[in-house]
Amino acid sequence: MFEQLVSKLPVGIGIVDEAFNVVYLNDFFLDRLPHELRKDYKEQPVTELFKGQGKFLKRRLKSVFVLQHPSFSYWEQRPHIFPFKSSRPITGEETQMYQNMEIIPIKDNTSDKKLACIFLQDVTAQASYFRAQQKLSQALKKEHAEQRKLIRKLDTAQSQLIQAEKMASTGQLAAGIAHEINNPIGFVTANLDTLSQYASHLLAICDGVESQITHFTEEMREQVQSLYESNHYAMLKDDITELIDESSEGLSRVRDIVENLKNFSLETADGYQNIEVCSVAKQLITLISAQYAKPEYKFECAKEKLEVIGDPGTLKQALMNVMVNAAQAIEDKGFIKLSIIENDNDIAFKILDSGCGIAEQNLKRIFEPFFTTKPEGQGQGLGLSVAYTAIEKHQGKVSISSKEGKGTVVQITIPKSPPQSSSTDNSEPAAEAF
Amino acid sequence: MSIVLPLDEDQRDALQELLNISMGQAANSLAQLIETKIDISIPKISTVTPDELYGLLFETKDAFYTRQSFLGDIHGEVMSVLSQSGLAEVAKLMDYEEPLTKEDIQEIILELCNILAGACLAGLSDQLELTTNLNMPTLFQPEKSNFSDLQWQHTLVMEVQFIIAISSFSMRVVFCLDDESLIRMKDTLDELLG
Repeated sequence: MFEQLVSKLPVGIGIVDEAFNVVYLNDFFLDRLPHELRKDYKEQPVTELFKGQGKFLKRRLKSVFVLQHPSFSYWEQRPHIFPFKSSRPITGEETQMYQNMEIIPIKDNTSDKKLACIFLQDVTAQASYFRAQQKLSQALKKEHAEQRKLIRKLDTAQSQLIQAEKMASTGQLAAGIAHEINNPIGFVTANLDTLSQYASHLLAICDGVESQITHFTEEMREQVQSLYESNHYAMLKDDITELIDESSEGLSRVRDIVENLKNFSLETADGYQNIEVCSVAKQLITLISAQYAKPEYKFECAKEKLEVIGDPGTLKQALMNVMVNAAQAIEDKGFIKLSIIENDNDIAFKILDSGCGIAEQNLKRIFEPFFTTKPEGQGQGLGLSVAYTAIEKHQGKVSISSKEGKGTVVQITIPKSPPQSSSTDNSEPAAEAF
Repeated sequence: MSIVLPLDEDQRDALQELLNISMGQAANSLAQLIETKIDISIPKISTVTPDELYGLLFETKDAFYTRQSFLGDIHGEVMSVLSQSGLAEVAKLMDYEEPLTKEDIQEIILELCNILAGACLAGLSDQLELTTNLNMPTLFQPEKSNFSDLQWQHTLVMEVQFIIAISSFSMRVVFCLDDESLIRMKDTLDELLG
């Protein structure tokens, strides 16, 4: 009865002797053996019968015989010890049986010989369920990561949008103010011209009186001379022309700045158009030098005029942000050189400064939104990230190299012709920091 | 919740002696199987709280952990702590081919624990004339389990370290008994002491 029971058990039971020869196999094993082996499996080494994992089986059997202690093997580490098919050859997804194995030492009751009993469990259902779950959890994890990435991207986009909007409204404000300033500048300039003429007339009168002074009476002469002296005429005469000249020069500078500000910030037209980069660069330098007076500004361009097709608003913004950073890097003395180099298909802007430079560990992060080394409240850490996005939009490249204490070079390359499609979602940003 | 009564001096001496013998046998078994010399530390017997047990497991840095329960006349768990260093050499001794896959490493860890914990437990049960059956070992991540939520306050711990002489590999086997088994073991020790 027990023999029948053992042979019908839904687990594999096999018994081998110390030479690893098969003494007994129950139906679970026999049903799965190839036909030709079913008759004479006895007295054959189990490692010959199941060659695939023969070495492993031998090792484990040896361990059981030597130690007289059970040995275990799990499907997770070794899924298919015996080359058995899955129990569902037609509808199952798994083609091979997943197995857990246990080998336990036993003794033959009659001969007292040492034997080993192999228990084999079919855990295909469990294993495939487990693996499906694992796959699912991996897919979920991946999706989760992608969503987080997307949220980060959205955050960045939003912050840049806020920044851009701020800049746009600042720009409009600046343009409005510039326009308002233009009127007073007009009449102040005109008045100053007239004033200058009047001054020269007055001086001529005074000079005339002075030259005729010998013809005056003694009393009159003394009176006129003391009048000249008490009003410091000699000094006044020297100074007045200079004062007026300086003022009109200052006024013309104010007019230039206002004009540039108007040109630079009044970007009503959206979208791609021809941009004359040399004049943009010059305007930019005038504007920045008005705010940051310490650095010496140099401009270099082989041609008088150079054009690219792009979005003027964002491109100018990008250049502006990089230039402002360069200007802020110079604390006391130094220079900023903006060179424009024309290549076959693109135009490169090279912005070189002799400022404080960027620490190596920061170089990798400078394009990250909200990354800033400025004290809290003084910088949002958006300037370069906005520049980066703008350059990316133009399918351009930006690279930065810097040495702390020596200076920084930023090179921005923009293709001359417009990008073929305006969506750059699929292309990875081409920035490299070295 | 009962409180574990500490062993008296005689019981402790007797258990120490039994452990010395059974651990020596375990080391011999492993040595025989992988054909190399194995050193063992003097087994330590102590009573610990869950927190102390947690600390005990983490004495080895960069380790693999397994646990394995046993049933029979006495019940409890064996936890093994294996050093990551030197595992490759041991794998070679166990006939594994390089390079080792993640599954190979897991299998080696489980097998080593099974052999040593099995041999230790078998030795101890033999000496005490108790029957025990060890269940299959599983990988264990103590840093992910909450030791402060455990249902016991004190437990008897028997700890022994195996060192494979030719490599930097070492392994600690920690036996823990439940309260009932402890009482049973104490009775058995008393019987042996006569």
